[in-house]
Amino acid sequence: MSTIGTKIYARLQGDRTIWLVTMLLAMFSLLAIYSASGSLAYKYKGGDTEFYLMKHIALLIAGFGLMYICFLVDYKRYSKIAPIALVITIPMLIYTLVFGTSINDASRWITIPVVGISFQTSDLAKLALIMYLARAISAKQDYIKDFKSAFLPIIVPVLVVCTLIAPADLSSSMLLFLTSLLLMFIGRVDIKYIGLLVLLGIVAFSFLIILGNFFPEIVRLDTWITRTKDFIVSSDGSYQVQRAKMAIAEGGWLGVGPGNSIHRNFLPSAFADFIYAIIIEEYGLIGGLVVIVLYLTLLFRCVSLVTRSPKAFGAMLALGLCLSLVIQALVNMAVAVHLVPVTGLTLPLMSMGGTSLLFTCVSLGMILSVSKYIEQMSSAEEVKA
Amino acid sequence: MDIKNEILWRIYLVLLIIIISAIAIFVKTAKIQIAEGDYWKAKADSLYLEYRPVNAARGNIFASNGSLLATSLPTFEIRMDLKTEFLTNEIFNENVDTLAKSLANLKDSPFTPGGYKDLLNEARKNGERYLLIKKDVTYPELKKIAQFPLFELGRFKGGFIEIRKQVRKRPFGQLARRTIGYVNSEGKMVGLEGAFNDVLAGEQGKQLMQKVSGGKWIPVEDITAIEPKSGQDIKTTIDPNIQDIAENALKRGLTYHNARHGSAIIMEVSTGKIKAIANLGKTKAGDYKEIYNYAIGESTEPGSTFKTAAMLALLEDGYIDVNDTIDLQMGRMSFSEEEMVDASYHALEKTSIQKAFEISSNVGIAQLVVDNYQMRKRSARFIKRLKDFNLHQPTGIEISGEGAPFIKEFDSKSWSGISLPWISIGYESKLTPLQMLTFYNAIANKGRLMKPYLVSDVEEFGVGTQHFRPTVVKRTIASERAIEKMTKLLIGVVERGTAKSIHTHAYKIAGKTGTTILNYKANLPKGYRKYQASFVGFFPADKPKYSCIVVVNTPRENGFYGGSVSAPIFREIADKCFAMDVDMHQAINKDKPKAMIAQHLPKVKKGAQKDIETSLAYLKLPFENDSELDWAVVSNAKDTLQITGRKMNSNIIPDIRGMGLKDALHILGNLGLNIKVSGFGQVATQSILPGTKAKGQTIKLTLN
Repeated sequence: MSTIGTKIYARLQGDRTIWLVTMLLAMFSLLAIYSASGSLAYKYKGGDTEFYLMKHIALLIAGFGLMYICFLVDYKRYSKIAPIALVITIPMLIYTLVFGTSINDASRWITIPVVGISFQTSDLAKLALIMYLARAISAKQDYIKDFKSAFLPIIVPVLVVCTLIAPADLSSSMLLFLTSLLLMFIGRVDIKYIGLLVLLGIVAFSFLIILGNFFPEIVRLDTWITRTKDFIVSSDGSYQVQRAKMAIAEGGWLGVGPGNSIHRNFLPSAFADFIYAIIIEEYGLIGGLVVIVLYLTLLFRCVSLVTRSPKAFGAMLALGLCLSLVIQALVNMAVAVHLVPVTGLTLPLMSMGGTSLLFTCVSLGMILSVSKYIEQMSSAEEVKA
Repeated sequence: MDIKNEILWRIYLVLLIIIISAIAIFVKTAKIQIAEGDYWKAKADSLYLEYRPVNAARGNIFASNGSLLATSLPTFEIRMDLKTEFLTNEIFNENVDTLAKSLANLKDSPFTPGGYKDLLNEARKNGERYLLIKKDVTYPELKKIAQFPLFELGRFKGGFIEIRKQVRKRPFGQLARRTIGYVNSEGKMVGLEGAFNDVLAGEQGKQLMQKVSGGKWIPVEDITAIEPKSGQDIKTTIDPNIQDIAENALKRGLTYHNARHGSAIIMEVSTGKIKAIANLGKTKAGDYKEIYNYAIGESTEPGSTFKTAAMLALLEDGYIDVNDTIDLQMGRMSFSEEEMVDASYHALEKTSIQKAFEISSNVGIAQLVVDNYQMRKRSARFIKRLKDFNLHQPTGIEISGEGAPFIKEFDSKSWSGISLPWISIGYESKLTPLQMLTFYNAIANKGRLMKPYLVSDVEEFGVGTQHFRPTVVKRTIASERAIEKMTKLLIGVVERGTAKSIHTHAYKIAGKTGTTILNYKANLPKGYRKYQASFVGFFPADKPKYSCIVVVNTPRENGFYGGSVSAPIFREIADKCFAMDVDMHQAINKDKPKAMIAQHLPKVKKGAQKDIETSLAYLKLPFENDSELDWAVVSNAKDTLQITGRKMNSNIIPDIRGMGLKDALHILGNLGLNIKVSGFGQVATQSILPGTKAKGQTIKLTLN
């Protein structure tokens, strides 16, 4: 077994640490899902707790398949398809907003005809926008401080995509906006322009709030207000947050052990938004730390890709995708410990999130593809030298 | 600064911010655990939750005709949690006035709006989590109350708690109460409720509940509740009409004779189905109620009704024939120096066995048994015969608490020289009324012994899941010849013997009276003796449909003999059963209809033409019709009935005199009239003249 493992490891191209972190997160998610989906299993599947585990395993296998395919693809192709993907995404976002399937009262999903799989268009839009940004930023490096030729083509897609996602899914929209800002910042966009973009973002958001008063079924104003109010007004937090805190308090240093969580039965969305609380209850402060460190390791590796080839499209792409992933993870954990209001963002790769998981895997596949080429490039440079 | 360096410092800045955020998350986690840990753990304990069982809806008990004998009605108890986490002062104060007003407007509410407001405010101040708002709330009421201000916000925000309870209702009240069953004072379930509890109870569900102060559990909305599985229904063999007849007849009899208690059972001969089982005991208040299942639980010495078993044994063994002669010795005879006396004085000496049985002569029957078994040293054979009749076995009725039968063994220690003669006339043995009836039912059923039973089906949502078929316990208890002779003897008892007071020409009854002295061991003079009067038999004797036993314990007034106390009750039950059941009647028109019988043709009510034709066709009465309309009048025409159609005008009140009430109500109702009815029978007068225009008037009908 170990010899096969070593063989695979030896043959494995790309950044091995990223591969390892991905595997570890996936393993961790299996344990967490098995525990946290207990109440769901009792409600819908007559106590068949394996059902949700099996579903998650199936999704993970499919996700790793997709990841491997994306890893094999030459990352330069992503640069080529980026504008096309963005152009396709925008009408899809509009369609979703108007006709999409509602889950938890938010119109975020569309179903692919024939195949019958539902997915969140915002997941797709996120990929497309980050790909586009990486391409634009890396291509315009030489005149990046110019407003008309560099800044405008970059911010228009950001504003359009984020505004279209925001009515049904403000958290994802803000996350994407933040990721874009950071990517632009790193990509040397002038700070005053970034300030301008922030201002524009605030204007767009105010516009949405006004719109929400007239179209409450499209803009989820109520939810935003309740969640923000819960966060600001009550020091203990909403019922969910209180339950999450009880779970965390129960955990101690080492946790109550796998499968022994009590609060999973009372914590709504224990298997998705609040899985971090259950992880801490079962695996303790140490377990929580391990999860944070795993995500941070992912970020360090991506940063090192940029430091090795700063101007390259690939490095920007990897960093953008990784930032989006890691920030989402941190926001999810911050919700569980009541540092920010409830958002509804999942913990990437860990939560039982269905098709979102597949998109996360695609992101990781792309990052790995980039890492493979940057490795080859640097070894080629070494050879040259 | 070159491009690379600019990118690098920017990226490290971003990295730094992210690392700081991660540290912040970790620190906050640690803070929740370490600094706030005790607070949250205590809070978790205060929200202590547990899965508690939830009772399932109990199944119904149906009568054989589908009427409900026992059912569970849901009622609700409304409580209020005034300390629920999301009930803010703002919400509470905003709604407390309107809620108080709504509550005060409820039917039978004990407080005024002001009173309710005080109650709610006080409870809020005391942090009550389980304040009783209203008990015994019906489902429609619950729906209404759930819409009240504050309550409409639900469990968490509005503190609204509904607790589902079940009340067991018996739509027929006391009818067969003991057999249907209930929870008795010791918390034990009796009757069919107890016997079929497993089926009726269903499966408990589980509901997450939260413990609040005072050790009360309140349900919590949660996603893991397991719904209870409703119990199944059972369908009994009991016919509520016959049951009603039996109970009424028994009650009248018991009251007239001021008896202590009594029971009556009616069984379907061919199947062993118990159609009715009445048990009435005198309460301290002096009235009669179903308080104990005497018919199933009380074993007593049966007395003369047992003579049938002795006689059947003699006939089966072929030792005697009914026309043989016997010396009754004027009703006095000694067996092993113990004197036996006939119950009523007579001066008969040489007489037929038939006559001896009909007058229920103790001396006669005992003498026959002693002569044929004891004297010939084959007493054991007599006991074996009784066992052939299955008299030593309990019936195995579904309900628990059946009294054990007792038939003395020949080789037992208590067997003495006088055992056999006394056993033969119904002493030194014990049987319950049901066991005795089962034996007589076998005689009525041509020797086939059926197991008595009360439940025919188990159903789930109206679909049968289990069906209980009639059970043959013994294919035959005696030869056809012996059974036939026995039946004749039993018919003789009613026609000429101790039960001749209930003899009727309408149908034949076969049966036997019994009068047991309950306290003969105390050797009391006649006035202090306690009796048990019984009558058991079947009808119509030539084609038995039902068997029936009536047992009256300790009659204290107006006689004490089985023939004068129990037989009349039997007759009343049999009469009504007979009247109710067309199948038992001899057809009066089984011959071909005779010509020129116009004078015998019955008067027929007016009414729906189709109904009239169906009825006349069923009765095979000749009729002719000249039209096909909805309504018709019938007149006698020569040797046939003439049906003439009647057209009903949609807004003219017709002549409805001579119609049945059902048809009259139908027609007048369609015309939009208010109808007031008095009397019984067919319409004799109508308050508005025929031909008047109908415009919603009130019409009074007198029936006659």
